[in-house]
Amino acid sequence: MTGNAEELELKERLNLIETMIAEGRRTTASYGWIFVLWGVAYYVAIYLDSVLHFHLAWQVTMTSAAILTAILCMARSRSHPPTTTSRALGALWFGTGISMFIVLFSLGYSDRMDLRIFVAVICGMLGSVNAASSMILKWKLQFACALVWWATTVFACFGKGHHVMTVFLAAIFLCQIVFGISGMIREACARRQGADHA
Amino acid sequence: MPELPELNPVIHGKLRLALLSLLTGVEEAEFTWLRSKTGSTDGNLGAQLLKLEEAGYIAVKKKFVQRKPQTLYRMTEAGRRALTDYVVALKQLLGGAIGD
Repeated sequence: MTGNAEELELKERLNLIETMIAEGRRTTASYGWIFVLWGVAYYVAIYLDSVLHFHLAWQVTMTSAAILTAILCMARSRSHPPTTTSRALGALWFGTGISMFIVLFSLGYSDRMDLRIFVAVICGMLGSVNAASSMILKWKLQFACALVWWATTVFACFGKGHHVMTVFLAAIFLCQIVFGISGMIREACARRQGADHA
Repeated sequence: MPELPELNPVIHGKLRLALLSLLTGVEEAEFTWLRSKTGSTDGNLGAQLLKLEEAGYIAVKKKFVQRKPQTLYRMTEAGRRALTDYVVALKQLLGGAIGD
């Protein structure tokens, strides 16, 4: 009897360890909203640039989106402690963001920007960062997004001008909005599961 | 007959075990986060964290964020080793019963 009770207690300890480790990791994974935010930011920039012909559309929109992301991430980090994975992903996206900013800003100011180069550069970089991120997170859907971005890069180099923009808009919709929402749903399910287990 | 391993009494306490396990998944965590995850009271949580700190299993860092004090806890190498040893000992003690 005592042996059985002891065994149960030890098993309970083992379960506690597994639950707590999973809990610590689970609550830190929330990236879906960032994709949606940047998808909307791309659309706003394209609208301001193409329809309203606002000269600094991309610079202003991207800078605003970057500031908003930083503020929201900082606010979030107070209630969710950082993990090695979140730091690796943060570094990856931060580095890519800076690279994109430098390349596109320089192309814009040197007047060498053209739609195809612009789409090819943005999509190529997004393909790289999504592929790397998908490998870290073991997220197949994100790797599919990387493939879409890379395909858009190739299309931007060979396709016609107006088609390039259409494909770029479709890639944003799929890889930012749809993927971001699916990520948010996945994270909400994981949180609900965590609450059920608690 | 092989000797059964002894379980580390510092880690064996339920709340201390939960705290160490939580800290394995994160780089560092705030007191309030640990409190919300364990559902413990401030006093009990503080006491158990102090025991883990005295054993050298966790390190504490205090700082001010927007003029508010913030206490951050992270697991040390010794803590990680101790938890690993504890899990190994636990599995040894349970033997074949783990899969049941």
